[in-house]
Amino acid sequence: MMGQRPVARESVVFDSIVPIEELVERDGLRELCQSFHALFGIGVRLYSVDGTLLAAAATDQELCSEVGASTVGRHACTATIAGVVSHDPGAAREVVVPCFTGASYYVAAIDYDGRRVGRLIVGPYVPVQTAGPPSTLNEAVPGLDPEKARLLLEKMPRAKPETIRRIGTHLKSALDLILFSGHKAHMTSKMHLASVRESYRELADKNERLQEAFDRLKELDRLKSQFLATVSHELRTPLTSIIGYSEMLVQGLAGEMRPDQLEFVRTIHDKGEQLVKLIMGLLDLGKLESGTMRVILRPTRLEPVLGEVVSTMAPLARKKGVRLDLSLSQTTALPEVQGDSERLRQVFINLVENAIKFTPAGGEVTLRAAVAPTDGEQDTDSQEDGLSVMAPTLWPVEVRVADTGIGIPVTERERVFDAFYQVDSSSTREHGGTGLGLAIVKRLVDAHAGTVFIEDGRPRGTVFVVALPQAGSASHG
Amino acid sequence: MQINFGGREVALKLVYYGPALSGKTTNLRSLHELTVDGARGRLMTLETKDDRTLFFDMLPLAFRAESDKGGHVGMTLRIKIFTVPGQVTHASTRRLVLQGADAVAFIADSQIAETEHNAASFLDLRQNLKELGIVPKDMPVVIQFNKRDLGSIRSDHDIETLARRGKEPVFAAVAVNGQGVLETFFALLDVAWRKLDGQHRLAEMLGIESNELLPMAAKQLGLSVAIPKLLASSVAGSLERYLQGVQ
Repeated sequence: MMGQRPVARESVVFDSIVPIEELVERDGLRELCQSFHALFGIGVRLYSVDGTLLAAAATDQELCSEVGASTVGRHACTATIAGVVSHDPGAAREVVVPCFTGASYYVAAIDYDGRRVGRLIVGPYVPVQTAGPPSTLNEAVPGLDPEKARLLLEKMPRAKPETIRRIGTHLKSALDLILFSGHKAHMTSKMHLASVRESYRELADKNERLQEAFDRLKELDRLKSQFLATVSHELRTPLTSIIGYSEMLVQGLAGEMRPDQLEFVRTIHDKGEQLVKLIMGLLDLGKLESGTMRVILRPTRLEPVLGEVVSTMAPLARKKGVRLDLSLSQTTALPEVQGDSERLRQVFINLVENAIKFTPAGGEVTLRAAVAPTDGEQDTDSQEDGLSVMAPTLWPVEVRVADTGIGIPVTERERVFDAFYQVDSSSTREHGGTGLGLAIVKRLVDAHAGTVFIEDGRPRGTVFVVALPQAGSASHG
Repeated sequence: MQINFGGREVALKLVYYGPALSGKTTNLRSLHELTVDGARGRLMTLETKDDRTLFFDMLPLAFRAESDKGGHVGMTLRIKIFTVPGQVTHASTRRLVLQGADAVAFIADSQIAETEHNAASFLDLRQNLKELGIVPKDMPVVIQFNKRDLGSIRSDHDIETLARRGKEPVFAAVAVNGQGVLETFFALLDVAWRKLDGQHRLAEMLGIESNELLPMAAKQLGLSVAIPKLLASSVAGSLERYLQGVQ
């Protein structure tokens, strides 16, 4: 797979050596040592494999303090302790190291997962069979009173070698469980992180490929629009000649024609005009889609725009036998909208032309404009969620183009704004039209930050609603 | 494989792969039960409350390879056996567990109804190997047909025919009662060892001959089994044929 991110090569879980310090919780270890110390009265110390003290619980022994009081005694003691701490129990895994005082230290290896990870030291304790202080004590600390030494040695905890070994074994198995749990948690978290990272890598990879596909589609779309624009432009030039020459023929500039010839040429002329409209529509659509159509938004009054639309469309309505009405309040003027009057005129011409086309003779087409929400027209179904807080400070101006025509089924209402879409393909033949009018309306209204939709709940006919933001209102949602 | 010269350790990674619920974890549990403490460590399972493997299971084994021959100080052979989560949704985890594997035991479910899942999982294995930059035919694989005790399974004759035609060694098993578990494991260790020995001269490094390794491992695991007998139980002599092929 080309372009894929490489899979991480390091092995997440295998045989990495994890130091004991990372697997265990030190405070917990100290508590464990303390509980052993409280139980047996013997000191317990845990070291990592490199000799770092991990946890300890011990009480000072009076004999040790007495020995430590003299310089020679202190030196001898330090040397013994250093020997105990650094003593590796080897393959036997445990060893007893005697102290010159007559006490002993039990040293056991802590092995985990087949590796030595640390040592535990139990002591000092006095083996039960010890009768009194050995000669080594007197040799190491000559000034110590033998009787005092005997008394202090007796105060030290005494234990049988088997007991000490049992304590050690128990401590080791408790530690093994702690290490295992720690290791398990360590591996789980490591694996979890790696899984998340791996899933992220896969997703990022997919996203990248989706983005590439999306970019390619966008480029294709751009090429399509460009092609459409170029073809439309190139078609227009010869078409202008066809219309011009047919017009001259109709006007008799090339001599008088017979009535049937005249009708043929008129048909050529009409179809040419129809084709020009389609091409202009395509050009507009192309410009709107590519964003090259200039829409200059400025405070605009709607009354003159709508008035002009009605006077432009009146002849068509009359010819079709449809009544065309403009209903505006006589008392209050509409607020200005943020718009481009030329483009708005195009919007309403398209809508009114469409309405007339689909209204049979004797019907009517009405244009009404008002500031939303129009009182008394709201039914419970159209109440919006959270309107009380979501409502804009300036309501949009809504223009309704209502007809008494064939109507548009509810299921088709979204799609009528798609380019070239017609509710019923037979309607193109019956009513004519390019299927571009509403697509252009939608894009022009969008360019005004407005909305266009078909109103619900009309028993017959269709009501297109164009809502345009008032001049001075902030763009909302 | 990892070699730690300082610590005188060689670590192998064996992975049990296969479709969901085919018995990968059961194989590890049985292996754990059949062997004694010492050479084998604690079985680590990371599973959900309904006993499905979440990330992996892991059974560590460690063998001392002591040699009488001069010049060798003895080394530790560490083996980590992992299972992958079989559920389809854990694809990325499977790939992570597979990373660095030295050999793969593919645990197939013998039930006829599971045939497609077996195939899909095997394709998934190959795909994951490719994504890890491994040529699938370079990875030693041992196949185990598990759950031979159930009804509606592929017949013995079927399995034999498949074993004869296929490249990989095949073993029959009922992992839940330990049947075929040791056979599969030792065959897996054998093919992994031979492969790595060919590449890294492991025998020389550890001072242990190939034919000594398996008995040594069995002894340290507390098993009194005859290795040649275990290995001879591969379906239709598929292991012998495989080993002849790689030599």
